[in-house]
Amino acid sequence: MSHLGQELQLFLRQRLAVPTLALLALLSVVSVVAGMTEIRRQVETIARIQPLQAAEEAVVAAWVSRDGDAGNAAYYTFHATWDRPSALAFAALGQRDVAPYVLRVRALALESQIHEGETYNAELALPGRFDWAFVLTFLAPLILIVLLHDLISGEREAGRLQALQAAGGRTGLWTHRAGLRAGLVFVAVAAPFIAGAAMSGASAVEVLGVLAVAGLYLAFWTLVCLGVGALGRSSVANGAVLAATWVVLTLVLPALAHIAINSANPVRQGVELTLAQREAVHAGWDKPKDATLAAFFRVHTEWRDTPPVTSGFHWKWYYAFQHLGDLSVADPVRAYRRGLESRDAWTARVGLVLPAAGVQTALHRMAGTDLAAQLAYQDRIRAFHERLRRFYYPYIFNETPFREGDFAKAPRWAEGD
Amino acid sequence: MSPVLHIAANELRLMARARVAQLAIALVVILSAVAALTAISQGRESQEIRSRFQAQADREFDGQPARHPHRMVHYGHFVFRPLPALAGFDPGVDAFTGSTLFLEGHRQNSANFGDVRQSSLLVRFGQLTPAFVIQALGPLVLIFLGFGAIARERDSGLLRLHFTQGVRAGQVVLGKAAALSVVAGLILAPALGALAWLTLVGGAAPVAALTLAAGYAAYLLVWVLATTSISALAPSSRTALASLVAAWALSAILAPRLATDIALLAAPQPTRLETDIAIQRDLKKIGDSHNPDDPHFNAFRASVLKTYGVARVEDLPVNYRGLIAMEGERLTSSLFERYAERQFADQRRQSGMALALGLVSPTLAVRSLSMAASGTDLEGHRRFLRQAEAYRYAIVQRLNRLQAERLTFSDDSKRNSDPEAGRRVRIDPGAWRQTPDFVYRPASTSEALGAATPGLLLLGGWLALAGGLAWAASRRLERAGA
Repeated sequence: MSHLGQELQLFLRQRLAVPTLALLALLSVVSVVAGMTEIRRQVETIARIQPLQAAEEAVVAAWVSRDGDAGNAAYYTFHATWDRPSALAFAALGQRDVAPYVLRVRALALESQIHEGETYNAELALPGRFDWAFVLTFLAPLILIVLLHDLISGEREAGRLQALQAAGGRTGLWTHRAGLRAGLVFVAVAAPFIAGAAMSGASAVEVLGVLAVAGLYLAFWTLVCLGVGALGRSSVANGAVLAATWVVLTLVLPALAHIAINSANPVRQGVELTLAQREAVHAGWDKPKDATLAAFFRVHTEWRDTPPVTSGFHWKWYYAFQHLGDLSVADPVRAYRRGLESRDAWTARVGLVLPAAGVQTALHRMAGTDLAAQLAYQDRIRAFHERLRRFYYPYIFNETPFREGDFAKAPRWAEGD
Repeated sequence: MSPVLHIAANELRLMARARVAQLAIALVVILSAVAALTAISQGRESQEIRSRFQAQADREFDGQPARHPHRMVHYGHFVFRPLPALAGFDPGVDAFTGSTLFLEGHRQNSANFGDVRQSSLLVRFGQLTPAFVIQALGPLVLIFLGFGAIARERDSGLLRLHFTQGVRAGQVVLGKAAALSVVAGLILAPALGALAWLTLVGGAAPVAALTLAAGYAAYLLVWVLATTSISALAPSSRTALASLVAAWALSAILAPRLATDIALLAAPQPTRLETDIAIQRDLKKIGDSHNPDDPHFNAFRASVLKTYGVARVEDLPVNYRGLIAMEGERLTSSLFERYAERQFADQRRQSGMALALGLVSPTLAVRSLSMAASGTDLEGHRRFLRQAEAYRYAIVQRLNRLQAERLTFSDDSKRNSDPEAGRRVRIDPGAWRQTPDFVYRPASTSEALGAATPGLLLLGGWLALAGGLAWAASRRLERAGA
């Protein structure tokens, strides 16, 4: 142990050692603070929309309950949903800056609501966020390269290599030194994360999971640095080769993989299904009401025996063709989703080969901020929308008046949804 | 041969013999070419898809059956943002903004189906486009090939030999910079080819393409001068490499992301949901068409009755329901516009703040210039949103006017109780075909150049700074060599 202490002293006396490590620690702290600020803002927004939403509902309730028309209640009442960030989201913000984390839905056809976007500044979203995942994936390897590229060659260039190798003949010398430097890099990058995770209430298992991923990733780069260093070239050549390796592994190959994955898995169905769904919904106005209702009753048999529609307009018929519009695009919806999942699955496969893509995939999965998490939120919205429809149907199909007190009975978005 | 040319020629000969240099240049040229080919073909493909979808939407609108005009207001219309020709060079924010917008009465929907939400997290690694290759990778190749240009010769004592032969330090710096500029030219070549193709075949504005070419040439020249100067100033080639790579990481990797976080922290934007609610509230304050005693709509009715000189809405020569629809649309639309302009102003402030970090990062400066000249900056998307909103308002009011003029108040009021009236309120579908299609007006060349100006000025500043650095490096070298 005293030997390691001696090595530590030796290392810290080097000109670049302390500033480099301090820089990495600082960047890591900044990224954690930036991530936590963003997540706090999102949590505050989610809290802020509740009273706003309640006030909106009260306004609708006030005028709808005058004549108690349930169709109006269902038409004009929006219901808020939200996607609360996980405890680890601060470390890997992922898609949370471009996909909505709050969305309102009505009991109308869902496919024209669920794909709605969020307002954000695309110019700022383009380079991505300065989160901890970025510091770990892109910057930590660069710092490792700075500290490790001259591990052996530096001693040779200083004329100490032979003496070092002769002294005691310890084979573990380079392992110790490299391990020490890599360990310090790990601490510099991980300590701020641990503090942030503790403050965000992440569980020990989650933290250990992230640390394991980070450790493996840094171990990979340490081995690359040692491997290049072992070839016996000069420090300058090592530095150049390692920097080039970094560029290829973290910039060039992931960008190529992205092009390949997206062109191999086109997802045109998104636009197609919204165009088709609109046609289906609006054609409902021109189709015979009996046929529309018969089709609806095949799905919702429970309303089959309610009084027939005789007037020119009835909400029953309206909500029936709204839902039929959604059902008519069930196939493209599934195909669209399969396309997205396929893109995600291919990215995971690429992650097995490209460490930078792998570490990003793992972190965003653990943080629940990836494409899969976005799809999971949409699934919860779909389930909630189903509950909404089923809540309003009895009023509409039995022609039960919808009174002020009934608004409170509507399903509420719950965290467990 | 002048000493400068001689030095440049020698340096180039050296590079041509070095395996690493050959490899680096070959790699970046190939990447650049691959990026140009894929970007151009992808750009063309998505433009084709968009115009096909647009044609489909136009056709479907025209083909709607006889209907009550208000049904058409909610049937709405889809518009697609066309891709500018130079998007094949720099797609900019295209993938980060939705490309299609659903337009309907009294609602403002978001532009949807942007690639960013349809892609895995790989999209955040940067997209391989000619712009990205030059912005991010170009400088790195220059650094790798140039960091030793002068430092190496000083380490080996060759530099002193030059000086004893009467070569001036300034000539050495200039010669090395000239050699590195040749490399920069090679890096730029595929991108210039892509620009030429997009101009000649794709119909891009030549002035915009020239601006891009000049901007990127200036950007690479900044790095050529910086690399040569640092190579002269650094105590060893190792330090030269370390400081140059650090400067690159700061400029190309760190600054863009930091700029984003700083700008978002300084000027956060409300979510769409909050804006929707705020608009609804403001609307209620002006006039609530659901309220039979609403003062605004009562006053509106009174003024309509007075204009036509009748006592009851039933006696109006036009359908009062249509007039109400027009008035309601006018109110919502003015609020949409006010909120959209506020949001655009917020975003402009954010982007301006991010661009200010171009003072520490030439990459940010060239990125801004590049997107602006290519017409793929956020301003381009805002232009689309603005034109789409104007179009939305125009067609909705046109349909409302049809409701006011072609339907009678009595038919419209009992359309649901009287089947005959219900039939009469459906108007001839010829009216849908007469509705004009959406035609997007892209940024004019002068607008694009205006938007590119801040980036251009920043780059000019960087070029002056790099020139100053080269001059200072020559002076230092001269004194040290003497």
